[in-house]
Amino acid sequence: MVKAYKQEHVYKHPWEIVTSASWRKFADPENKRTLSHVLEVDTLNHKLDSELGKLYTTRAITIHAPGPWFVRKIVGQDICHCVESTVVDAQSKSMQLTTRNVSLQKFIEVEERIRYDPHPDDPARWTVCRQETSIRIKPLSALASMAEKVEQRCAERFLQNSVKGREVMERICKYLEAESRGIAF
Amino acid sequence: MGLLRERKPSSSPSSTSPCAQLRAAYYSCFNKWYSEKFVKGQWQKEECVAEWQKYRACLSEHLEDKHLSRFLEAEGLGDHDTAIKSDSAGSVDGEDNSVSH
Repeated sequence: MVKAYKQEHVYKHPWEIVTSASWRKFADPENKRTLSHVLEVDTLNHKLDSELGKLYTTRAITIHAPGPWFVRKIVGQDICHCVESTVVDAQSKSMQLTTRNVSLQKFIEVEERIRYDPHPDDPARWTVCRQETSIRIKPLSALASMAEKVEQRCAERFLQNSVKGREVMERICKYLEAESRGIAF
Repeated sequence: MGLLRERKPSSSPSSTSPCAQLRAAYYSCFNKWYSEKFVKGQWQKEECVAEWQKYRACLSEHLEDKHLSRFLEAEGLGDHDTAIKSDSAGSVDGEDNSVSH
């Protein structure tokens, strides 16, 4: 029982700006209202490969995800911890993020992979974002009998949040661009 | 900054809230380094080291969740991918439910 979704989005901003925005997406306080499901983001670890220009980062993302009552009753909590691993290659210009839940794994496994690359049509000015999400309800868990419903609910939530996420990304890209042109905010 | 802006009543403070100020200091340093240096080819020198050390020390004191603190302890980042996967092996069995009412 795996559900997978793919999404692609083109940002009409350069890769440097879009990936900078990605780091700020959850951490900037002004976005907290839009992305209110994200409670905390903490960097747990990071490593810089100063020869190759690669940056490895592990962040903890705490999400408030109150499901429908029947799920809450079984799961017993509505806070979920996820771990996000990011690799940025500044030389080849790629950013890859993988996020997985580390709590509630007995019930559900969600994995989200995001890649930011310069857009082939206009690599200096545009960025393509490819996102893949897979949701898997554990077959023998108490949620298995209602897997279909839960997966559907999850998927809807993901879509809603990714639209919100893109709005936030656009907003940050705009102010980063304004900032780099020397306009003070 | 924090004094005038009240937290929303609905958002409960989490275990890492005591580190919020150190975290903000680290993030602002990191974001600047990332956009002004790292992506522009100046990746030879690591920056924000003092900010990171202070923030990390606070995290290791306050991070309660066992799932997460393992990542803090892991010094080498090379195999953090496998660290996530190994969780399903059941080493931390049962504790997900212990928070339920």
